[in-house]
Amino acid sequence: MKINVMTDVLEANDRIADANRQVFDTNKNMVLNLMSSPGSGKTALLERTAGALQGRLRLGVIVGDIETTRDADRLEKHGIPAVQLTTGTACHLDANMIASALSRMDLASIDVVVVENVGNLVCPAEFRLGEDFKVMVLSVTEGDEKPLKYPMMFRESSLLLINKIDLLSYTDFSMDAAKANARKIHPDLEIIDTSCVTGEGVSEWVEWLCRRYREKFG
Amino acid sequence: MAIARSIVDIAVAAASRENASRVVRVNVLAGELRAIIPAQLILYFGLMSQDTIAEGAHLGLENVALVGRCGRCGKEFDVKDDSLVCPECHGQDVQMISGTELRVKDIEVE
Repeated sequence: MKINVMTDVLEANDRIADANRQVFDTNKNMVLNLMSSPGSGKTALLERTAGALQGRLRLGVIVGDIETTRDADRLEKHGIPAVQLTTGTACHLDANMIASALSRMDLASIDVVVVENVGNLVCPAEFRLGEDFKVMVLSVTEGDEKPLKYPMMFRESSLLLINKIDLLSYTDFSMDAAKANARKIHPDLEIIDTSCVTGEGVSEWVEWLCRRYREKFG
Repeated sequence: MAIARSIVDIAVAAASRENASRVVRVNVLAGELRAIIPAQLILYFGLMSQDTIAEGAHLGLENVALVGRCGRCGKEFDVKDDSLVCPECHGQDVQMISGTELRVKDIEVE
């Protein structure tokens, strides 16, 4: 006997993501799902961001890694409240893991929650967490063809940060090619060039956060 | 692996609702954009279905091509080289109308 099902494979995840979103909205949190390859500079970017946001928006981070609490430790040194999720074997965070972190954070005293996803350009794009925006970090040492190799990730993101631009002269990375490739996949994609070493682009990124926050909560 | 797990859960739940005792086949629509690797998903499906009524079921994966529709001229076209620009009017306001799905279509049970 054949039974029609027509159920989205990730429906259960999406239901939990919607519930997370409600909790975040109630607490007036804007939530970003920050995704990239391992070693693209996500944690360094957040360290920079916390300082630049001071007096404007309060940052909190949920950080996913397969092992260790090193990233949360690094962030807390910068005064950023951080909850570490260790995923064990999973190569991405899912909505249920985020739900488990909610009670471990004082959400009411945070404006922007950044979920620092596990470094991976494939699976994190599949799992909604309850975020307002997906943001991607691509570092120049990874190569300018990445948008073509991992289209789903670039398609799903609202903003692309091209990071480590201080290293441009040591690589054959072409900013023009990277941006053209990304916009082929996603014509409206916003792009900001950043360096966590020189601080270039950080203020533009902070302005983006503040603008999006105002748009959401007025 | 999480995807395989979810497919097993959906199939077992659908079969249980119909009081079926065994799932023999699960058909999944896999959009091109989801970049599913069939051999890998089939392997994980086999592992995740162990000790469930879907153990031993055949996993059928139906690839769904990526199709876009231009918001300006209405042209529908196969998306090639991941370029989301209308081949007709070069408009950039393109909606993807298929190829993004990952869905359990139907199951066969005994």
